[in-house]
Amino acid sequence: MTAYNRRTLIVGLAIAVLIAGVVSYFASANPDGLEKAQEELGVAGPAHQAVEVPAVAFQEYNLKWLGEGFWSNAIAGVVGALVVLAILLGVGRLLARGKARTPGASSN
Amino acid sequence: MHIASGFLSPPVWAGAAVVSGGALAASLALARRHMDERRVPLMGVMGAFIFAAQMVNFPVLPGTSGHLGGGFLLGILLGAPLGIIVMASVLAVQALLFQDGGVEALGANIFMMGVMPCLLGAAVRGLWLRPKPGAATYAVTLVLGILAVVAGATGVILLLWLSDSLPHSISLVHALGLMGGIHAGIGVVEGVVSAAVVRFVLTMRREAVLGPLAADYAKGAAP
Repeated sequence: MTAYNRRTLIVGLAIAVLIAGVVSYFASANPDGLEKAQEELGVAGPAHQAVEVPAVAFQEYNLKWLGEGFWSNAIAGVVGALVVLAILLGVGRLLARGKARTPGASSN
Repeated sequence: MHIASGFLSPPVWAGAAVVSGGALAASLALARRHMDERRVPLMGVMGAFIFAAQMVNFPVLPGTSGHLGGGFLLGILLGAPLGIIVMASVLAVQALLFQDGGVEALGANIFMMGVMPCLLGAAVRGLWLRPKPGAATYAVTLVLGILAVVAGATGVILLLWLSDSLPHSISLVHALGLMGGIHAGIGVVEGVVSAAVVRFVLTMRREAVLGPLAADYAKGAAP
């Protein structure tokens, strides 16, 4: 991997980890815009068959086994961000296969 | 703004899934043209960033919170095809691992938070790629950022209405106004944060943002 790409990864990931692992703990717990609107409009609950996805490891944005808390939220957030990163690096690599870096622009 | 499970009727979620599935397939087909080895890590970390940012609910009105959508920002930084791929990945991980957004509603959520805002973001991408984006670029970004969120929010209400998930005593216009109003505030944050992040990434990683266009810009022959 080029130094340019390595730096993009390290700096970008550091920012994402900080937000998912730390900042997110201080997020507002109020209902979001859609939940609030549904509440005000008097939507009681699902009108159709709901599909339950089994909670494999996470209960919303907390570790299933740890309940709510700073570390539970931090681990869930960081793992989620890493899963997204891994998927996209895989897809991106497939899409970029056989494509050389565009000539004409300098990079470090 | 994720539609939870059980709120969309089968014809509505299936229709949305077909539309978003088609958009995702087209994005994957088009993406190779926009690809460049330096964009892979940017794509990855932007996905991680959007996932992280969506965890941060900020207060908007008393008793109400909102979070970044991110599709608009991705449309500017990566263009529509790559942006849609990133947003679909984020929403799929949220639905499958974190019970955030219904699985059957994934197509609808990808459309309202991915396809549509990514296309709006891609519309201002050209302004940002000029050598010195001016005040007009910021103004257009703010306005379209608000529009992206409000359009997605009112789109969700339309889908709920089509699914017969709104009480019959409520008029559609009232529901649209309420949802649009709440999300206008969230949209302002979306527009401002998008502009700030685009500016930051352009400063740090201009070539990754330009991708295959970098050669054109280096020659001074900007499209």
